[in-house]
Amino acid sequence: MTPPPRDGRRLVPAYLATTGRARPSRNTLDRLTVLHGAADPTTVSGLRPEEIRLLELLRGGALSLAEAAAHLRLPVSVVKVLVADLVDTGRLMARAPIPDAELPERQILEKVLNGLRTLKSS
Amino acid sequence: MTEIPVALTVILSVGTAAAVALALLLARSARETKRLRQRSAAAEKDLQDALHHQAALAQRAQATEAEVRHLAGARVPDLTAALAHPNVPVRGLLDPAFRGTELDRALTTVLEQVSDAVTKERLRVDAAAQASMRGATTTIQALLYQLQTRLQTMQERYDDPFVAEDLLAADFLNEQALRRIQSTAIVCGAWPGLTRQNSHLGDIVVGAMSRLSGYERVQVTNQLRDPIGVVARAVEPAAVVLTELLANSLHYSHPELPVAVTIQQGNRGASVIIDDAGVGMHAEEMERAQRMMAGQENVLITELGDPPRTGFATIGQLARQYGFTASVETSPYGGVRAIVHIPGDPLLTLLDEEEQPMSPMAPAPRSGSSAAAASAVPGQPATQRPAQPEPEHTATVHLNRSAARTPSRTRPYGQEQTRPEPQAQPSEDELPRRRRRRPSQDPALGAPADAVTPTPSGDAAAAAGNPAQAAAQAAEASPEQSAERWAAFQRGTNSGRAAVDEAEATGQTPQFAPTDPAPDHGGVIPHDHSADPRSAEGNPQE
Repeated sequence: MTPPPRDGRRLVPAYLATTGRARPSRNTLDRLTVLHGAADPTTVSGLRPEEIRLLELLRGGALSLAEAAAHLRLPVSVVKVLVADLVDTGRLMARAPIPDAELPERQILEKVLNGLRTLKSS
Repeated sequence: MTEIPVALTVILSVGTAAAVALALLLARSARETKRLRQRSAAAEKDLQDALHHQAALAQRAQATEAEVRHLAGARVPDLTAALAHPNVPVRGLLDPAFRGTELDRALTTVLEQVSDAVTKERLRVDAAAQASMRGATTTIQALLYQLQTRLQTMQERYDDPFVAEDLLAADFLNEQALRRIQSTAIVCGAWPGLTRQNSHLGDIVVGAMSRLSGYERVQVTNQLRDPIGVVARAVEPAAVVLTELLANSLHYSHPELPVAVTIQQGNRGASVIIDDAGVGMHAEEMERAQRMMAGQENVLITELGDPPRTGFATIGQLARQYGFTASVETSPYGGVRAIVHIPGDPLLTLLDEEEQPMSPMAPAPRSGSSAAAASAVPGQPATQRPAQPEPEHTATVHLNRSAARTPSRTRPYGQEQTRPEPQAQPSEDELPRRRRRRPSQDPALGAPADAVTPTPSGDAAAAAGNPAQAAAQAAEASPEQSAERWAAFQRGTNSGRAAVDEAEATGQTPQFAPTDPAPDHGGVIPHDHSADPRSAEGNPQE
């Protein structure tokens, strides 16, 4: 959650990015959704400035939606709409975050720990 | 008988004496009568004169009375009306015979005193009204800013789409309320109520349009060459001025017509041009608007109509206080064109885009204009901006420096030097630029280049059907063309090398044809010679 204006009052409000929409056309996006640009950069003409900026941001590599929002200094809810629009037109790819690798079970870890301790003490 | 003659003599003499005496008496009496007659005639004449005089006096008194009655009944009301509406004539004396007399002077003094009293009282009442308005608006404005902060925090906090959408709507309403309050406050003599930090001109324009319903119709084109910002103290005033002009454009044009805004950089400042295709203004309105926007006269809120039309008055106040100029004229689109000029010397700075990026909603410089510019000047050789390493990276470089070097770039295109070489090796000391990774693969750049046939200027002119001009241009441009060809060759080589480097670095296959502009190293684009000269010379695309 970005704190409210760090450097003075905002000049350009967030609703301008989506003309007031905050309901994305798809509800599969969340803060951790990973975004990356489509493989071949299609033309950016006809896009709005904020969409161009988002695509530019992703040229360097993938970013999570929350990161992209922070870079753009826009609320996550607004960026979701932008992303959903761009995904709909095929200019952007979004995928669910990779789940954390499963950790070994606690019991096994405890057993290993106990084994190590016995090794050390013996 | 002697007695008789004696007696006769005596009698005769007595008779004669009596006759003489009588004659004398008679003559005297006749004289007396004549004198009396004369006196009587004189007296009669005097009487006549007196009567005449009296009549004249009575008439004069009557006329004076009529004059005073005229003053009370017509001239004073005329005067008070004229004070409110300057086009109402004030009637003069009823009887021109009084002109220049004591009476005339006295009556004029009366009128002057009435006028004085009325004016003073009006100013006093207006000042009181303004003060009370200021008091109220200041408080409301502060509260609305607090509400804005709160809404913004909530927008960051809540992801739920429905909540977020309501928050955006509330934010928009809040902005509109703020704008109304702010302009009322400014007309009433308050300051804009907010100091911002130095801000990009593009951000200010976009911020201004965000305060108006119907902002979707505003199409902003950014033609700036440099990252120009407005100094802190003038940011909010500039935003308010632009908001009011945009509000007029949006309000007086059909709700489906666009309003075109162009941000332009000049040698001595920057201008924002607002064009609408609406109903327009007639000459009288235009004149009034110009007068009010000049900010020369004091604004009385009683003169702004009901409901008060504060727009031009607001602009006038701010223009006077901060040094902008705003003007309106008939737009070539049929509506009104409003131009705000912000002088570079005290009010503009250059901003560091790394430190202070533009808002994502603000249009990137030139991005929207490259296609139009390419079609406007087809086939001209691309003119490279001379590499001018700026020695420092300070966030606020004074615009004068950039103004000083702009003349070389505002010459007619044909006269410009082509200096492609320095572009290939952008120095680290370049002015801070917009960050774009690998902009040369940006197809937006490619598009205008593709749209334009890469004919030399001579051919283009020949195609335009002017052989003489074409020949002249061909002769004139030929060294440049050869330079251009070699430059293209060199760029091609550079681009090939850069592409190999980059492909090695990122493991990607280069995505461009050999003739495409090369990917740059984070600085300046080496331009394709067929690209639009205007987009090329300023190279704001990176």
